[in-house]
Amino acid sequence: MNKHLQDIFDFIQEEVTLSEEKKATIINELKAADKALTISEFKLERTEKVKRTTAILLEETIEELEQKRKSIEETNQALQASLEELKAAQAQLIQAEKMASLGELTAGIAHEIQNPLNFVNNFSEVSKELLDELKEEIDNNDYEEVRAIANDVISNLEKINHHGKRADGIVKGMLQHSRKSEGEKELTDINALVDEYLRLAYHGLRAKDKSFNASLETQYDESVGKIHLVPQDIGRVVLNLITNAFYACTQKSRLSPGEAYQPTVMVKTKKENQKMEIRVKDNGSGIPKEVFDKIFQPFFTTKPTGQGTGLGLSLSYDIVKAHGGELRVFTELEKGTEFVISLPITS
Amino acid sequence: MKSKSIHGASAPEIKEALHRAMDDGFRPTVAIIFSSVQQDRDAICMLFRTHTIDVFGATSCGEFIDGTQTKGAIAILLLEIPKEQYTILLQPIENATIETGASGLAKQALNAFANPSLIVCCTGMDKNGAFFNGDELVTHLEQQLGPEKLFFGGLAGDDWNLQATYVFSSESETDRGVIALVLNGDLVELKGMAITGFKPMGIVRTVTKSKGNLLYEIDGKSAVEMYLKYLGRADLEDKSGYDLLTELSFEYPFIVERPGNETILKSPMKIDQDENALFIDMEMTVGTRFWFTKPPEFEIVEEILEKADGTKSTKDEQADALLIFSCAGRYPILGPLITEENDGLAKLWKAPMAGFYTYGEIGRSLGGKQNFHGGACCWVALKEK
Repeated sequence: MNKHLQDIFDFIQEEVTLSEEKKATIINELKAADKALTISEFKLERTEKVKRTTAILLEETIEELEQKRKSIEETNQALQASLEELKAAQAQLIQAEKMASLGELTAGIAHEIQNPLNFVNNFSEVSKELLDELKEEIDNNDYEEVRAIANDVISNLEKINHHGKRADGIVKGMLQHSRKSEGEKELTDINALVDEYLRLAYHGLRAKDKSFNASLETQYDESVGKIHLVPQDIGRVVLNLITNAFYACTQKSRLSPGEAYQPTVMVKTKKENQKMEIRVKDNGSGIPKEVFDKIFQPFFTTKPTGQGTGLGLSLSYDIVKAHGGELRVFTELEKGTEFVISLPITS
Repeated sequence: MKSKSIHGASAPEIKEALHRAMDDGFRPTVAIIFSSVQQDRDAICMLFRTHTIDVFGATSCGEFIDGTQTKGAIAILLLEIPKEQYTILLQPIENATIETGASGLAKQALNAFANPSLIVCCTGMDKNGAFFNGDELVTHLEQQLGPEKLFFGGLAGDDWNLQATYVFSSESETDRGVIALVLNGDLVELKGMAITGFKPMGIVRTVTKSKGNLLYEIDGKSAVEMYLKYLGRADLEDKSGYDLLTELSFEYPFIVERPGNETILKSPMKIDQDENALFIDMEMTVGTRFWFTKPPEFEIVEEILEKADGTKSTKDEQADALLIFSCAGRYPILGPLITEENDGLAKLWKAPMAGFYTYGEIGRSLGGKQNFHGGACCWVALKEK
């Protein structure tokens, strides 16, 4: 018992003036007070102890969490660096894909350049001969003839200049195709763009494989006109789809030799409300179901190793999406496949 | 069912108390005895044999009846209950598996009554110093008896000597086994609950290295270092001489996750210097999720009484007898409040009460399944239907 309470207890016990009943009541109260005091002292002592320990535990936990936060931050930074590296690698892959498609174009470009070069050569040779004649007519003092020959030479030089510019345009286009896209849209004649890439792809394949033959059918909707897009990007998509279409036809020809099969690739443009479509259709074997879901996945290819990067359709999909458009595909086994690029017409 | 609780510091004192209890014609058939290991168990059992009273006994780590709490003495709940309503089974396990022991006990209980309810005490530690796996016992008992059967109890203690504990009947005893008072559940109703009051503190932790009862690593860090550092004893130099249990573990056990949204307290008992590991009273396997804890608030006493009151069918419902199995660690944590808890329950149920401080508790938390507990106050009220 608490010392002071014990003193009171002893005093009460010795007190003679109090009745036994009163003594018992007071003693019971004293015992209750002692109990309450003991409990209070215990609570105080334990509260102090628990408070101290709890504070330490929480401090240590906070410190540990802070360390974890730092560690997560470092991991984040490392992940960020990896992400940057990944982006750089992706950019390299995209460039590699561009160069691969440039390879597809090379033969077509050579064929396209050959025409203006022939004109340049022919007209320059003719002009040289005309100038020789011109000199003779000067000696003959036939200035009327001199004037006529001079006019022919001027006309020839204009043609040379025209074909030179044509060749220049083709080379510039090739360079533009291989250059990194800045993503700047410009007003582009869709039909001209599609037709140019169709011809380049066709002649490219013909140059590589003399046995290759396919009917080309085009339906260009003149009302499509010019729209804002990144020409080298959309050009790449068109080239990729046309090349794939030719590949599908070639494969079907090879798989069923001797059959009366006429490989045909049809390219259409069409304006519809506020959208325009570019449709590339082949009459190849179609896309099997097990392959269909994967064709837009990066690095997925059905071509033999080394003949396809597996990025063509994946990049095409991304490019069309970046233009706010859609790239859809419809296929039927043994009948063929049609890819539809759908682009919004914006001012 | 009539009951009385008696208490004494020796066998002669118990003899005297028993005679006093029987003065009014009270004729007990069962004595539920919680006795310190210091006491003469043979003499006590002999006393009850002479009165043809069956004994259900367990050694204690402090014992109490309503109004009296001691350490080193004897607390007894006497029940006057018809012989056909109960049976007492002592199942020594010795070298057999706990599963075998539990299975044998369950079969006998089911043979005795179609719907048995049990008061179960098992040993806490054998003579070789090996802890008894109470969790395993409860799991197998539940499997064998069926999930709806009720059983409450505790693990015997030995006044914190940690040398050997015993369960005993009138005729024999064992340092590795189980004793059960099997009641006819159709005639005797049991109502009870196990509750700890410990709360998780800080972040969830995971055991990353352990073997048996040794806990080596928590979240990849040394368990010994973390436990001491986080509880303010990073400066401790003499680890071997440090009484981890008394100084820290009583108040700061771990709360361990277990199935069914339930938890269990597991306590570091000592530091194994050679292994640099914490010796835990129950296994904590790799992957176990747990928290450091905050000891129960002082309001836990009110909470326990409130929840006990909530189990009553009517406001005035009272029990015929009350047993309390309270974790030995609660005594140092709750100090003088522990008697408020125990006596409060006896007052609430208006029934004679006896109980002891245990090395583990067996019961159901509120709305929970049959489980093994640590750090809990586990009470069970008995009432003849």
